Amino acid sequence: MKHTLVVALPVGLAAALAAVLLPHLLDGGTLRLLAELLLAMGMAQMWNLLAGYTGMLSLGHQLFVAAGAYALFEATQRLGLAPAWTLPIAPIVGGLLAALLAPLLFRLRDAYFAIGLWVFAEIGALLVSKSAALGGSAGKPLDLSGVEDLEALGTLSFRLAVLVGVGLLGVVWALMRSPLGLALRTVRDNELAARSIGVDVWRVRLVAFVVSGAGCALAGAAHYMGAMFLAPDAAFDINWVVMMMFATLIGGVGTIAGPVLGVLAWFALRELFATGLGLPGGWYLIGMGLFAMAVSLYAPRGLRGVRVRRARPPRSH
Amino acid sequence: MDWIASVVNGALLGGLYGLFGLGLALVFGVMRLVNLAHGEFIVMGAFLGVGLVATLPQVPPMALAPVVALAGYGVGWVLQRGVVNGALRRGDALTPLMLTFGLSVVLRNGMVSLFGADPRAIDGGALTSAGVDVAGLRLGIYPLVVLAAAVLLFAALHWLLRHSETGRVMRATADAPEIARLMGVSPERVFARVTGLAIAFAMLAGFLLAQRTSFTPFSGAERMLVAFEVVIIGGLGSFWGALAGGVLLGIAQVVGQKFDSNAGALYAHGLFLLVLLFMPRGLAGERR
Repeated sequence: MKHTLVVALPVGLAAALAAVLLPHLLDGGTLRLLAELLLAMGMAQMWNLLAGYTGMLSLGHQLFVAAGAYALFEATQRLGLAPAWTLPIAPIVGGLLAALLAPLLFRLRDAYFAIGLWVFAEIGALLVSKSAALGGSAGKPLDLSGVEDLEALGTLSFRLAVLVGVGLLGVVWALMRSPLGLALRTVRDNELAARSIGVDVWRVRLVAFVVSGAGCALAGAAHYMGAMFLAPDAAFDINWVVMMMFATLIGGVGTIAGPVLGVLAWFALRELFATGLGLPGGWYLIGMGLFAMAVSLYAPRGLRGVRVRRARPPRSH
Repeated sequence: MDWIASVVNGALLGGLYGLFGLGLALVFGVMRLVNLAHGEFIVMGAFLGVGLVATLPQVPPMALAPVVALAGYGVGWVLQRGVVNGALRRGDALTPLMLTFGLSVVLRNGMVSLFGADPRAIDGGALTSAGVDVAGLRLGIYPLVVLAAAVLLFAALHWLLRHSETGRVMRATADAPEIARLMGVSPERVFARVTGLAIAFAMLAGFLLAQRTSFTPFSGAERMLVAFEVVIIGGLGSFWGALAGGVLLGIAQVVGQKFDSNAGALYAHGLFLLVLLFMPRGLAGERR
């Protein structure tokens, strides 16, 4: 318990300090980039909760990013409130969506689960593109009529991004210290053994899926609150999952620090490729793809996993 | 009458969709692996076709189909021997998925960098515009030829797997790779042949589809989802189920398009949803 406080306190304090001080020190563009980075970390944590800790790979998490963002934009417009007040609706929508899809998707295993969720993301994108009320394929801006102080919106978005990014990390961290976290990892390592010691595999997977969907929706909503414009092409982009997956892979699957380090590397490499070397965006993705292939072949536990390779029970077949 | 024409045209398109799914089903059946770059190979077949048709304008495009298929076999063989076998050896389910997903990102963006993102199509010549009247319905010759080719390929694969030495070895390797190894079979070599066949089907289907629908380097994801839905609708591990699944999906798409001009894909996804809800084992069911 002592160890818990030693880690959690400084992280929480540093985050609070950053949230309070940084808006006074940095310009808007840098704040926006930092917010994006923190929210990407939150999303990668949520993806890792499913893939790294529960053994369920997802290729459809862009669905939750978009669901959260559209929930925020719709609620803000319909209720006439400031987006900061309607933000909590996003995780509720994301969680409900996950709970609704789970009975269907859990019929599919491994790769088929992953692609099944991708199909739902595709259905979502098609439906939103057809819906005039949601802005169709052209998209729509965030309704700011409920905002009293427009000047402070950028600062508020940044502070919320810190809260969400660090909060989601805290959620995974707390979850992994609970009996449920142990159950998740048992299911990942050996489903049969988990069943035989009385773990309700279906329910455990459901909880992980719902938390992951809710968290991703919250981070997605916070991201688009900062962007203030939402279109289906960008919100349902498969590159959201590419980012979550590659960041987690680089940093280390199934570790808390993995997505944090991975997202840092992802953003650093992106800046290096785009700004430093002046290459078009495609080359960056090619580089990341090659890197992911190399990691999956030579270091499947991620770069960090090379160092802290832990003993893992053999898988049964 | 219009509706009947839509159903027939959808069924004809479905032959191609069946071929999309066939490669995915074959690899999954033998290696328990889903190739997430399957769609990118379908698009690669289309780009190879564009190049071939441009360099050999005097040859009818249909005659180039075997070249595309052979190239696909080579690509698949090299892919499997070069990288995928290494990922399979690790024995966990996620590693090959990450590998093939990484590959799909590389191929997709590589094709964008090489060829640009503009939509393209292959001009199939006189064959694609010709048609016949059957019982008052106007049917394209090209879709008929493509469906016939698809059925023929399904039958050939069925024969190969059921009645040839190669097929026996493939099935044995699928059931128990380690025991097959004791019998002197090298599972790695068998896997390379299977992936070769799968990519050959994928690139051939991509080449054939490009003569009736335009494509971009980003079409791969869409094609892969179609292939995936074909496999789930047909039933995991069933080859003829994949053909039936493809035909049903093609009908759903073309009829949906008639009903709602810009959302054919939505109806295809809807069909997938219904099957998942009410027939989770697909048309043919899985015997496990």
